[in-house]
Amino acid sequence: MPEVNLLRPRGRYFKSIRRMIFMIVGLWAVMVFGFQILLFLVQRDPMGSSFLTDARFLGFPFHYWFTGQFSIIGFLLLCIWFNRLFDRLVDSGKDARRRQE
Amino acid sequence: MEEIGVRTGPALILAGTLLLFVLVGILTRVRNLEEYWVAGRRIGPVSSGMAIASNWMSAASFLGMAGLLYLQGYFGLAYVLGWCGGYVLLLVLMAAQIRNYGKFTAPDFIGDRYYSKTARFLAAIITLVISFVYAVGQYKGIGEMFKWIFGMDYKLSIITGTIVVVSYVLLSGMMGVVRNQQVQYIVLITAFLLPLFFIAKKLGFFYFVPQVGYGAAVAQLQETQPQFVLPWGDEGIYQWIALCFTLMVGTAGLPHVIQRFYLVPNASDARKSVVWGLFFIGILYWSSPAFSAFGRILNPDGGREVADVIIINAAENAGLPEWFTGLLAAGAVSAAFSTVAGLLMAASAAFAHDLYFGLFKPTASNKERVVVARLGAVVLGFAIMVVALEPPALIGQIVAMAFAIAGCTIFPVFVLGIWWSRTTREGGIAGMLVGGLISIGALFWGDTALASWIPATSSALIGAPVAFLTIIVVSHLTPPPPKEIDGLMRQIHTGEDGAA
Repeated sequence: MPEVNLLRPRGRYFKSIRRMIFMIVGLWAVMVFGFQILLFLVQRDPMGSSFLTDARFLGFPFHYWFTGQFSIIGFLLLCIWFNRLFDRLVDSGKDARRRQE
Repeated sequence: MEEIGVRTGPALILAGTLLLFVLVGILTRVRNLEEYWVAGRRIGPVSSGMAIASNWMSAASFLGMAGLLYLQGYFGLAYVLGWCGGYVLLLVLMAAQIRNYGKFTAPDFIGDRYYSKTARFLAAIITLVISFVYAVGQYKGIGEMFKWIFGMDYKLSIITGTIVVVSYVLLSGMMGVVRNQQVQYIVLITAFLLPLFFIAKKLGFFYFVPQVGYGAAVAQLQETQPQFVLPWGDEGIYQWIALCFTLMVGTAGLPHVIQRFYLVPNASDARKSVVWGLFFIGILYWSSPAFSAFGRILNPDGGREVADVIIINAAENAGLPEWFTGLLAAGAVSAAFSTVAGLLMAASAAFAHDLYFGLFKPTASNKERVVVARLGAVVLGFAIMVVALEPPALIGQIVAMAFAIAGCTIFPVFVLGIWWSRTTREGGIAGMLVGGLISIGALFWGDTALASWIPATSSALIGAPVAFLTIIVVSHLTPPPPKEIDGLMRQIHTGEDGAA
């Protein structure tokens, strides 16, 4: 087996895996930490008031809804997406080997 | 507060719930370990998901999270996201690989991957420390609930709770009770949700889906108590991000969470069960903030005193009947009990298997091992009690400290061990030592300047990267791992379809 190194992947399988991991973890980070940084950047007072806290969605202040409720849905969607991509990778690997045989 | 004495309704509900779990456990029990694994591996991803969620739900999720949200408002959402967002990391970085490896415990994996008894020994000690800290938080939950149900003072409640929980663990162990985690999940989530509908109804909010209905309550609080709702009303952005990050990497580094994946039939099911587990945990976490918002409206100035019992407090203030509120208390105690049972078993196994026999007495018989493990559970059970008598923080905060230790130690050695074959024994050991020093040190350095950057609950934002760096640098400086590690890496990465 060649060296496993997520940052310098060898072969089709590990290259695809790296792409998937970076994409999902990237979106995960933007959704959780990116949103907090956005709140910080647009704030107009030290407590963090902004148009995002003034806006309402489903009765919630928007920022509270996004963090407290939507993010959990976001996590679920990211996980489902990752599993789809992984299944596809596994299937295409099987096809490739079948063709070789 | 006036003396109330025993609340009969809730006490009966509690006894009934615990009895139900034991009975179900006895009825579905299996004769030996082999059968246990087989039975575990027959279930599908939905059932596994429920088991993951029930394994996960402790006094911290049931009581502590609502308490922190009640006290700290938006800052508390860092706990909500931290405690479910970690499952994304777990899925993406480890779930399938851990299943492919197929060993039983976290120290087992670390010992093999880092081809070292020392690494295994360190991992066992870390597992022990994590279980200990985690359990202190659970004890506080048990103490608070016993205090409410039986009308005793907190210390007496803790002592009584310890005696009950240790006997529960020993008896279930001897009778071969297997925790039926699906039944447990359904009972716990029902106990948690039912009162919420009625509180929402009493307060006049949209109660068909109180998880949405509490939005109006939050908006109302933004007018009257803005510090509860605004982003940095309680703590700043650094503290928010450090805490959330720590809890996420901690989730993916907790031994009892990682070990759950050995129990599914294959890597594909391991991945699917994470999604279901996250969904079932999500149901609880969509609801906790609702309890806190309602609690804040009903009792704006309760403070730290009521924080850890806010779900009970909110139900009482909304005028729910006592037995109905008792459902919440019984649910909280059962969640804490099953978590303590799991932790005591894991910790005493680490103690007996990895420390005592691995180091001092490798020739011990099976019978001797069982006796030492049970003795270990009893000693540990009472040692935890001593710390829990003077709890250092709120339930959720104590448990977060356990996550911080896991995130600074186990998480880095697992991720690098799986994704970089050049990681060496020396690197792994150095990483666990450095991560352990930072995260365990953070428990003790109190109110210094360091504590504002590396708080005990949030040390992994700095600690985890430092541990990663240590492992990478030391691995480069030491000779590469032996050839056998190649085979291990192959096994980890090729289970599902033979591709790699």
